[in-house]
Amino acid sequence: MSKSYNIDVLDPLRFMARMEERQKRIEEAPAKEISSEYAVNKLAYALHPQKQFVRIQKVMERDADCKSFVLVPDAEKGTETLAYFSAGQYLTVFLDIEGMKLTRAYSISSSPKEALEGRYMLTVKYVQDGLASRYILDNWKEGDSVEVSAPEGFFEYNSLRDAETVVGVAGGSGITPFLSMAQAICDGDEEFNLILLYGSREAEHILFKEEFDSIMAKTDKVKVIHVLSHEEREGYEHGFVTADLIRKYAPETPYSVFLCGPQQMYTFVDKELEKLSLEKKYIRHELFGEMHNPKAQEDYPGGAPDTIRITVTVRDETRTVTGPANDSVLQILEKNGIRVPSRCRSGECGWCHSRLISGKVYIPKEIDGRRMADLKYGYIHPCAAFGLSDLEIEVPAAK
Amino acid sequence: MSRQYDVIVVGAGNGGLAAGGITSKNGLSTLVLERHNIPGGSATSFRRGRFEFETSLHELAEVGPNPFEGTVRQLFDELGAKDVEWHFEENAFRVVLPGEGGFDATLPTGEEAFADEMERQVPGCRESVKAVFDLGRHAIEAIGYLSKGAPDPAVLQSEYADFMRIASHTTKEVLDALHMPKRAQDILVTYWCYLGAPADQLDFLYYALMLILYVQLRPAMPKMRSHEMSLALEKAIHEHGGEIWYNSEVERILVKDGKAYGVVVDGKEIYAEHIICNSHMGNALSRLLPAEEIPEKMLKLANARDIALSFVTVYLGMNRSAEELGIHDYSNFVIPCADSREQYNRCCSIEDSGYAIMNCLNTVIPESSPEGTCTLFFTTMYYGDVWKDVKPEEYKKLKIKIAGEIIENCEKALGITLKPYIEEIVIAAPPTFARYLMTPRGTPYGYQFDMWDSMMMRTMNVEAEEPIKHLRFCGACGERGDGYSSAYISGMNTGLRTVRDAKEGK
Repeated sequence: MSKSYNIDVLDPLRFMARMEERQKRIEEAPAKEISSEYAVNKLAYALHPQKQFVRIQKVMERDADCKSFVLVPDAEKGTETLAYFSAGQYLTVFLDIEGMKLTRAYSISSSPKEALEGRYMLTVKYVQDGLASRYILDNWKEGDSVEVSAPEGFFEYNSLRDAETVVGVAGGSGITPFLSMAQAICDGDEEFNLILLYGSREAEHILFKEEFDSIMAKTDKVKVIHVLSHEEREGYEHGFVTADLIRKYAPETPYSVFLCGPQQMYTFVDKELEKLSLEKKYIRHELFGEMHNPKAQEDYPGGAPDTIRITVTVRDETRTVTGPANDSVLQILEKNGIRVPSRCRSGECGWCHSRLISGKVYIPKEIDGRRMADLKYGYIHPCAAFGLSDLEIEVPAAK
Repeated sequence: MSRQYDVIVVGAGNGGLAAGGITSKNGLSTLVLERHNIPGGSATSFRRGRFEFETSLHELAEVGPNPFEGTVRQLFDELGAKDVEWHFEENAFRVVLPGEGGFDATLPTGEEAFADEMERQVPGCRESVKAVFDLGRHAIEAIGYLSKGAPDPAVLQSEYADFMRIASHTTKEVLDALHMPKRAQDILVTYWCYLGAPADQLDFLYYALMLILYVQLRPAMPKMRSHEMSLALEKAIHEHGGEIWYNSEVERILVKDGKAYGVVVDGKEIYAEHIICNSHMGNALSRLLPAEEIPEKMLKLANARDIALSFVTVYLGMNRSAEELGIHDYSNFVIPCADSREQYNRCCSIEDSGYAIMNCLNTVIPESSPEGTCTLFFTTMYYGDVWKDVKPEEYKKLKIKIAGEIIENCEKALGITLKPYIEEIVIAAPPTFARYLMTPRGTPYGYQFDMWDSMMMRTMNVEAEEPIKHLRFCGACGERGDGYSSAYISGMNTGLRTVRDAKEGK
């Protein structure tokens, strides 16, 4: 058969020579041990340690139901430095409350710069019926050792995506990530203008008033407007954060709106934002937070028994536990002492990704952060899934 | 005593999933151990806002629309993972070299159409382009002969001399021998980055095989991002009675007297007759294997090799459709200079290399993001230890700076505007890959290909270079190197060798 090409100029015996070259290269190479210490891998580990052990250095009472905790590395447990983070990120804290293995996410309220100096600050405010917040406020004291995750979350500024000015809308303890952002701006670690509309019930409930006043004295890039819902007071806005209020303080478009606060605030402010016709890209929410009372959701199908029985397999161990249908699958497992990997508890991060082998669950649409193929192959995020029948699931081991 | 399995697979990357699929399908009790909470390694997806992003797949070379079945489709079908919904791209690639003397070529699939467009771009190159495909076909035939085992040197030299030529000469040497004009060579070798070695360091054999597979079978991608393929394989393993444990990092591989017999997870020993390692070989040598049990030859081989490249990848969710943005092609290669070696050299620095690949999945799967939006996926390369001096506090700013440069380079070269329409952005860099894949310097690509360490040279030495009994390797460090198809096929081959060993009682 005739060929369309002729490469006879190339020596076919080169093939044998290459084989010999290989043997020679290998023979001549040193037999020294292989390094696992690469700078890039070390950087990766410094930014994303698998876990961090910290000690509570200081407790600061903010008001009756709110405290700040200064955390420093617990060298005795192997944590020498704290992971750097992007202002707005959170830590997940690991709790063991009488055998219940819980996690909770709290925004870091200190600056990224302070992390380099070996300090994080978390601020915890009691939330109604809040198991974890009650426990932390009542039990955490100076000198205690605590385990936290690496910094997580996507509630952060990015100059390629966001406008030069961010209008921050904060409610209650939702102020915490904004304090970190304001400090990062002040330190020169972030470059944007922050106009903060911060809603509190009364002036006495305002968190970090002094800290923000001090930042505003240092930089004109941060401006805080206090909005009091239950008090009229000179120099303060009164009411809720409305479209008109945002218009009053925001610059010409485009500007970004970042929201962090309780679910009721999102519901209210999201409606107000519709009036401003901002592009979706300019509106960003911090985590929705754990959903309670799924039965109150409009699309809740009903028909669930009061008690759900869950057969859960972790590696080669299988257990059967029960819990109320009103608790998320994650909560039921945790309350039965099963450690389940989790971080955001809002359906978003996918840390608790688990295989639903049988049974039916309700997954509220607004917190369904699953991938498309998860739906196809029967995966759920237990933190955002509520049993509608007895369930059989396989859960990854907690790290 | 802890539980015993026939096979333990270390890592549920593409190679590990394929290997575990093969061993469980063939009746071997199989346990796959994965340190993450999801399968796939690089082959996954993630959500941001209203977008779901592909993590790393550009395109699969070996699927093929029915009835042209590529090896990867056959593998998925054989394992029972038939329900992956494949989509195919009509064009192979668009490559743009901006500026005077540059080019803007969109190469279609199909050999004739591809050759036509090459001829239009560089008159007089048609014959040499067709010769590339003919040589690719010759190579497939020769590999078929070799895979029967015990090749006769006389037959090789008489029937397959051209195969021996292209397996032992660089892509550049063979294209020169075919008298292909340099400009045509520069366009033709656009895919070189998929194998990580430029045209003067990459054997022609592997390049021609990859090119012909893309051009004949068309580039393929799954509807629901790579996560769909990974979960399909996982399901197949379950159906064949295999187990997968997530968040279960293997701390050590147990070896005694030159024979592997188990692993350690969370301090517990689990035993198996055969171990298949999908972790980077560098990890196995530095952390997993007991130092006293590592044969000198393995260390020497690892020391003789270079760690392959790493990447910055940028994922954009756009609040405009591909059409509105003026994007029509799936694969857009934006290159700063014509020659692949010069492109490589520019990527040996942390400074802006000008090199970028931009993929737009919506051009192939329009419904892959909500109506009126699209997703874009950018890739640029880094060779060597150029990220070594980056400090944690500089990292975010550096990533944003690099992402900005990549986006601007593509905007300029492709004549489009992107920046005002970015609704979501995620940037991954070598430390991201180091964190997620745990590979040396965060390479997703195993070891760097070189002429002495080419696909063919690796293939011919596979068995000799796995000197620890009952321990085999698969994945990007395997004979076929990086890439989705390569990793799947490497896992399949390793699985088949393990099945053979088990049957022979080895």
